[in-house]
Amino acid sequence: MIEAVDLRKEYADVVAVEGSTFSVEPGEIFGLVGPNGAGKTTTLKMLAGLIEPTAGRATVAGYDSQDREMRRRLGFLPEDSPLYADMTATSYLRFFADLYDVPRDVADERIDRTLDRLDLDARDRPLGNVSKGMKRKVAIARSLVNDPDVLVYDEPASGLDPLTTNAIVEFVEELSARRTVLFSAHDLHQVERLCDRVAIMLDGRIVAQGTIEEIRADHGTVEYRVDTSVQVDGAERVDGTDASGERYRTTVEDMAAVEDVRTAAQEAGGELLDVRTREPSLEDVFLAVAEGSNA
Amino acid sequence: MTAPGPEGGDRGRAGELVRQARHALRIARWEALSGVGGLDRRTLLSALVAVLAIAGVGAAVAVAGTPQDANVYRVGVAHDSPYYEPVRQDPTLAVRDPDYDDFADRKLEVIITRETIQANDTRKGRAAAAEVKSAVRRYNERLMEAEAERGNETAAFPVSVDLRYVDRGGSGLGGTGDGSGGGDGDGDGGGDGGDGSSGSGGAGGDGRATDGGGFGLPSIGAETLFGSSGGRPSDIRPPFPFVSLVLAFAFVVPMNFVIQAYASSILGERTNRRGELTLIAPVSPATIVAGKTLPYFGAMIGIATLTALALGGGIVSVAAVVPIALLFLSAAFVGGLLARSHKELTFVLVTVSVSVTAYVFVPAVFTNVTPIAVISPLTMVVRDLEGVAVSAPTFLFSTVPMLVASGVLFYLGGGLYREEDLFARKPIPEKILDALAAPIRGPTSVGAVTVLLIPFVLLAELLAVAVLFVLPLSLSLPLLLSALATVEEVGKSVHVLAGFERARFDRSLRSAAVVGAASGTGFFIAEKVVVVGQVVGLEQLDAGRALQRTAGTGLGESASPIVLLGLLLAPLFLHVVTAVVSAVGASRGRRAYVLGLAGAVVVHTLYNLTVVITLVR
Repeated sequence: MIEAVDLRKEYADVVAVEGSTFSVEPGEIFGLVGPNGAGKTTTLKMLAGLIEPTAGRATVAGYDSQDREMRRRLGFLPEDSPLYADMTATSYLRFFADLYDVPRDVADERIDRTLDRLDLDARDRPLGNVSKGMKRKVAIARSLVNDPDVLVYDEPASGLDPLTTNAIVEFVEELSARRTVLFSAHDLHQVERLCDRVAIMLDGRIVAQGTIEEIRADHGTVEYRVDTSVQVDGAERVDGTDASGERYRTTVEDMAAVEDVRTAAQEAGGELLDVRTREPSLEDVFLAVAEGSNA
Repeated sequence: MTAPGPEGGDRGRAGELVRQARHALRIARWEALSGVGGLDRRTLLSALVAVLAIAGVGAAVAVAGTPQDANVYRVGVAHDSPYYEPVRQDPTLAVRDPDYDDFADRKLEVIITRETIQANDTRKGRAAAAEVKSAVRRYNERLMEAEAERGNETAAFPVSVDLRYVDRGGSGLGGTGDGSGGGDGDGDGGGDGGDGSSGSGGAGGDGRATDGGGFGLPSIGAETLFGSSGGRPSDIRPPFPFVSLVLAFAFVVPMNFVIQAYASSILGERTNRRGELTLIAPVSPATIVAGKTLPYFGAMIGIATLTALALGGGIVSVAAVVPIALLFLSAAFVGGLLARSHKELTFVLVTVSVSVTAYVFVPAVFTNVTPIAVISPLTMVVRDLEGVAVSAPTFLFSTVPMLVASGVLFYLGGGLYREEDLFARKPIPEKILDALAAPIRGPTSVGAVTVLLIPFVLLAELLAVAVLFVLPLSLSLPLLLSALATVEEVGKSVHVLAGFERARFDRSLRSAAVVGAASGTGFFIAEKVVVVGQVVGLEQLDAGRALQRTAGTGLGESASPIVLLGLLLAPLFLHVVTAVVSAVGASRGRRAYVLGLAGAVVVHTLYNLTVVITLVR
C-alpha cells in the first residue's frame, strides 16, 4: 500500500533523508521512530506529496506520491495542525470535505460520526477557543473526511495530556482495523503497543526495520539478572534488603556468565538466590541502535 | 494511474478544470467568509463604516464647504441697493443695515452706499472687501448665464473663445505637432452666436478629441467632467490637471487598502504552517491562490465599478482598472510570500504601494498634458471619464504590459506556493532567487524566463522614460540610456544568477557562456516582438525615440538595407555578449556577478550612446 524506494531529500548542503527504502502492507500499522532531525517528518511529507524527493520514488495506494489523485486516498496528519481560529469544527471539516468532493450529506454524516467517536462536543465553537487536545481531534477528523485507505500521521499524540493521548492512540488502533497506517512517534511505548512493524531512522537513514521481535533479535540482547546472597565482582546491593537477608544483583548477557556468578558466590560462602531474564524494550533497542550507529 | 478516488468522478481535462474552478470558488467563499486578511467580520464592518463616514464627511465638505465660514463678514447694505442681492446670496457675507456708527465701531467690515464701497482698514476688512468683489462678480456671471439660457447668448456673452493648445516646438510636449494650430483659435465664432454652440465646435475645444488626432487637451479649463463646457472668457482656466489627479486618486487609493488585507491573508497561511492543510488536499497551488485572490480582486473591481458609475465612467474605465488591480494583487501576493513577519510585510507593501501607485498615478495625472501618460492604464480611465475616445491599440499598449507582468508575478509566486518555500524562513533575496530558479531546468528555460521578465523590463523602461522626459535632452538622454542598459542587463541576468546559486548549472565557463547566450537570445527575440513605442507613437518624445533606437527599431526609410540588417542584428550581438559577461560573473558568485553586471551595463550604455548619437543624429 505504501512503498518508498531509495528516497532522498537534499536541502542546499544538507541531506535530510538518504536512501530510505521500506514498504507498508495493506492493513498494517507501521511505525517510524527516531530522534529529532532524523528525517521522519521529511519522509512522511514526501509520501504525502508535500515535498518532492530529490531522488528515489514513493507510491501510495498505487499512485505516485506526487500525483494529486493520490491525495484522495490519503489521510495525512502533520505534526502541527494549526487550524483557522475563527472557524468552527463543523465548518472547517465541511470546507475540507468540499475540497475532497465529498457530497454534503455524506460529509455531514461522516463528520458527525467521527466527532461523536472522538467525544468532541464543542463543534460550533470557534476553533481558536478550544483546547489543544480538541484541536488535535479536529485535525484527526480532517484527515478522515475523505474516508482514506491510507493514513500517514506525524506524531499524532505528541504534547497532549495522558488521557487525550490514550484516547487518540486507541482511536488510531481502531482505525487500523480497515486502513493502512504509517505513523511516527517519539513515544516508543506507543509504537511498541500499536505497530506491526517499525523502522528506526537516524541521521536521515533507516538503520533498522522489521517486526519488533526481529529488530530485538538483531539489535537487542536478553539480560539475565542474577541475585546472590553475597557480593561478587560487579554486583550491586539490592535496596530494601536487611542485614540478615542481603541480596546482590549482577546483570549478565548469557548463561555462561550466570554460571560464573554462581561459582563466585559459592566461593565467597554464599549462594545463588534467583535468576531472571529480561526482554529488551523498543527503547533499549533504539538506544542500542543509536549507540551502535554513533560508535 | 486513473482509478477513481473515493469521491468525485469528474474525469478528463475538462472535468478536472471544472473541478479546480469549483474548488477555487469554494476557497474564495471560505476566504471571504472566514475573515478577510485575518480580520474578523466585526473589525471589517467597523473599518467599512469608518471609511464611509470619512468619505461622507469629505464629500459633504467638498460640496457644501465648511460651515465655519458662513456669515463671517458683516456688510452694511440697503435693501434697495443693487449690491443687496449679491451680498445676500453669498453665504460668507451677512447683510446688515448700512449704519456709519456701526462701521466706525467696527461692527461692520464693509459698508455700501449709493456712491461708495468702504471697508475697514483691517485685515478682516480687506478680506471682506475682496469677498464682496468676488460675490458681485459671481452674481453677474449668474445673471449672464440666466440671460444666455433665455436664448440671448450673444447679448450675454458677446465674445466666444475657441482655445487650442499647441506645442511650443520644444522637446517636451508633443514634439511632432505641426504648429499650424497656433493661429486657429481666433474665436471666429464669436459673432455668429445665438445658437448656443459657441466654444464647443473647435478641435479639442470640447475635450473630446480622439487618439487619431493626437492627444487633445480639453481647451476650456479642466472642468469638462463636471459639465462646464462653455467657451466664454471667464471659463478659461490654466491647464492644471486637477480633475485627472482627483480621478486617479479615487481609483488607486482603495486598492492600497485591499492589498493590505490580501497580503496579510497570504502571510497568515504561512504563519504556523496553516496553509499546509490546504496543500494536502487534492487541489493545485494555482487553485488555492486563485481562490484566495478572487475575493480581493472582486472587491477591487467592485469598488472601481462603483467609482466609475458615480463619476459617469463606462466599461473602458472598469476594464482599464483590471490590470492595475491584478498588478497590485500579484505584487502583494509575492510580497506576502517573501515577508517573514508582519513587520517585514509592512515594508514590502509600502514598496509595492509606492511603486505601483507611482507607475499608474503619476502618468495619469498628466493625461491631458503629455502622450507618455498612456503608459498607465489609469490614463484610460481618466480619458473615459472625460469623454475622450480610447482607441483599441492605445488601450492594449496601456494595459497589456501590466497584465502580462501581473501574470508573470503570479506565476513566479506560484512557484513558491509549496511546502518547501511557503514555510521556510529565508531572507527575501533568497526567496526571490528561489522563485526565479524554480522554472529553470536548462539553457532553454533560461531564455524562456528572460522572455517572461520582458514585461517588467518594459514597465521599468517606460517608467524611466516618464520620469526623465521632462529633463533637457542633453541630460535626459545619457541618463535614460544608462537606465535602459541597467534595466535590461538586470532582466537578462538575475535569473541566471538564481540558476547558478540554486545549482541548476555547474559553475563552469562553458555553462556561463551557454546560459548567457540563451538569455541574450531570448531577450533579443522578445524585444523585437514588443517593439516598444511604435504602437502608440511614443516617438513623439525624444526619450521615446531613444528607446526605439536602442532596440534597433524606428529608423525609418532613410537607412540602407545593409545598415538596417546590421542594426537589426547588432542588438542580438550586444544582448548575447553582455548577457554572457553577466553570466560569467554569476557563475563565480554574487560579488563577481555584481562586477559582471556592471561591466555589461557599461558596454550596453556605450552601445546605446553609439547608436543614438552616431547613427540617428
